[in-house]
Amino acid sequence: MENNQYLSMFIDESQEHLQAINDNFMKLEQDPSNINIVNDIFRSAHTLKGMSATMGFEDLASLTHEMENVLYLVRDRKLSMNNYIFDVMFKGVDSLEKMVQDIVGGGTGKADVREVLKSLKGILAGNINGPGASAASAEPVKAAAADQSLDEVKVNEFEIGVMKNSIEAGYAVFFAEVAVRDNCMLKAARAYMVFNELERNGEIIHSHPTVQDIEAEKFEKYFSVYYLTKSDAAGVEKMIMSISEIDAARVVTLDTNGLGTLETGDYSAIVRGGGKKAEEVALQTATNSESPKIAEVVTPKAAAGGGGQAVQSRTIRVDVERLDALMNLFSELLIDRVRLEQLAQKIGNNDLNETVEHMTRITSDLQNVVMKLRMVPVDTVFQRFPRMVRDLAKSLDKKVDLIVSGADTEVDKTVVEELGDPLVHMLRNAVDHGLETLSERKKVGKSETGIIHLRAFNAGNDVFIEIEEDGRGINPERVLSKAVQKGLVSPDQAKKMTKDEIHQLIFASGFSTAEAITDVSGRGVGLDVVKSKITGIGGDVIVDSVMGKGTKFIIRLPLTLSIIPAMLIKAGSETYAIPLSSIVETFVVEKKNIRTVHGTPMVDYRKSVIPIIFLSKLFDLPDFNEEDEDETELAVIRKGDKLVALSVDDFIAQQEIVIKTLGEYLEGDTFAIMGATILGNGQTALIIDTNALIK
Amino acid sequence: MAEDVKVIVFNLGKEEYGVEVERVRTIERNQHITRVPKTPSFVKGVINLRGVVIPIIDLRGRFGLPETEYTDHTRIIIVNVKNIEVGFIVDSANDVVDVNEDIVEKPPELVGGIKAKYLRGVAKLGNRLLVLLHLEEVLNKQEIVQLENEEE
Repeated sequence: MENNQYLSMFIDESQEHLQAINDNFMKLEQDPSNINIVNDIFRSAHTLKGMSATMGFEDLASLTHEMENVLYLVRDRKLSMNNYIFDVMFKGVDSLEKMVQDIVGGGTGKADVREVLKSLKGILAGNINGPGASAASAEPVKAAAADQSLDEVKVNEFEIGVMKNSIEAGYAVFFAEVAVRDNCMLKAARAYMVFNELERNGEIIHSHPTVQDIEAEKFEKYFSVYYLTKSDAAGVEKMIMSISEIDAARVVTLDTNGLGTLETGDYSAIVRGGGKKAEEVALQTATNSESPKIAEVVTPKAAAGGGGQAVQSRTIRVDVERLDALMNLFSELLIDRVRLEQLAQKIGNNDLNETVEHMTRITSDLQNVVMKLRMVPVDTVFQRFPRMVRDLAKSLDKKVDLIVSGADTEVDKTVVEELGDPLVHMLRNAVDHGLETLSERKKVGKSETGIIHLRAFNAGNDVFIEIEEDGRGINPERVLSKAVQKGLVSPDQAKKMTKDEIHQLIFASGFSTAEAITDVSGRGVGLDVVKSKITGIGGDVIVDSVMGKGTKFIIRLPLTLSIIPAMLIKAGSETYAIPLSSIVETFVVEKKNIRTVHGTPMVDYRKSVIPIIFLSKLFDLPDFNEEDEDETELAVIRKGDKLVALSVDDFIAQQEIVIKTLGEYLEGDTFAIMGATILGNGQTALIIDTNALIK
Repeated sequence: MAEDVKVIVFNLGKEEYGVEVERVRTIERNQHITRVPKTPSFVKGVINLRGVVIPIIDLRGRFGLPETEYTDHTRIIIVNVKNIEVGFIVDSANDVVDVNEDIVEKPPELVGGIKAKYLRGVAKLGNRLLVLLHLEEVLNKQEIVQLENEEE
């Protein structure tokens, strides 16, 4: 079976379904009696099972199957969820995730799931290990669907009897034949989706091929069902056609007379026209198989008319590599644009200028589009947190409410990829060390349940993520004594520090050690790692805390990492770029206004005095020295709330630059350089890492 | 007999050196090099090679030989070693020869002031002596750190 080309599709979809199952279980835990949620889980699990079986991942399919069996009982209110069952189900989901991960890593998706299976079977056998343990019996899932294998469209007398009775009870009986599109990748999964859709609004009496055969994809293009519902024929057709990749649905209404004919063995009313005619009849709702290929593409859409299909096909999956390639090509284009602008300026031809201006506008729009393509909602990292926090809280015997907001805030893919680990770290810290134990919370008059807010929002060109809990807060005295003890600050310095400065100490490397976790108000493991990771992607993190009230971490992130606005500056014969995001202000100062305090040159800036860093000294410039000038240009740069003035030769222009690495050979060996960019004249200019200039 | 390997020949002073053609991406004329501050003195900076930023090393400086003014003959040989791309500045590069592995001998302790550990071997071609470089060792950064520490 040539499944390889479908593998990535399978992985994507199964991960989505697993996430949906996970999320819905979390919801269900809050609202255990809500059968709608159970139905949602059931659908996801059902599709997952179908897909896994099709792809030949038997373990995955069988575990899902057992979980489904339990859900089946819950759905039919024969079993009510309790903590034990939730735990077993979550374990099951974990195992499924592991298997999918294994498949992602090129494995076969095999895993030892005997224990989970045993627990699941135990639940089915009535061992639900908790209060309200009623004798819930394990029923085969597919009791509703008749499993007997019959030829083509035949139904047995018993089934005809059932259908007749149903008509008397006010149901309509339909025979529906569904044609799956020829190029459909996961036929079985699509068939399942049709079954699900139908079963939501009625009951399937009989199917051909049998459910097992459909599950194993043992059918070519058609499958058919006898179906009971209160809907009409058009409604049934609409239900079926709402599933994507379904080519056509042929719905035949069966009345009592019609059923009577069937009883006599005459199926002419419902079989396809036989032989060649069959195709045409079957496809009448969608397309004529003889018509050219273009028509095939167009007509199914028309047939779906107003159904869900149009909505479903509005997104496409694109390989990330293609997006990266697009991005690289665009970067090249951007460099040429800048070059063109310069040339046009030099030549001074009006027509040329206009054309270049127009091109500039278009490339700006194009840039927005390209950047947006790479934006993903932070939800892709956030979504696993509720579950993580739940598990963590349970293992620590704490009660935690994680309130997530702004999960749809979008950030560049590269930023999101780097974000996961630091956030996991900070959330773990928040639950483990930030929040007090139940008894401690009671003692200080807080509610037992700790609240952690995880917020994401846009502000200007930055994205902010906040993690705020209402725990014990940071004890500044203990942080300070720890810092002094570790030699991070001298006792003299310590006396002068503001509370805010003390708080930031927890990010200092060397501060966070294993013993520091429990000693110092329980904050700190690896926070220096968190900080370096976030500053590494051009962001920043600060902490705000009130003792006894809680702690808030604020992470600031750039929207993107690959193209940034920057200020180009001249330093003698050399050109450098400074990210605009770190520049607060630029101004010129006369030499006589530069003061020297303790050997450090300083300048007055808005009621305070800030140090000056001379670029010539910093980078050992060969042909420029600020001291030769009567006045010097200063760029005030910011890191957190610290300011420094960087003295440069001259400001050239503000420009969008494409960030490139300096090459692996120099990686890690440079100082205060975050990369290079290519200028309009084809030369490279280095990008100054202002974060490295401020300690 | 072992197979022939194509080798690019370049000069540093009077000596002739060689790197395997398959290691060489391209040979460029000398061009504007953007200095990168706070790097070892033999790292001359970076250039833009068709949209990719590539670090440039002066091979004379790397081997501790006296550096000379760049001339019209000066070339930058862009090599790719274990996916690290680096450009070497050499006095000139103007020949490609076939070298049979069988005639490559172990290098003597010192050739033209370059330590044996940077050399893969020496090949005699008629009356020419071709010194083959050990690129991995030339790009070994750990050794650079030691070198700098010695200087201090």
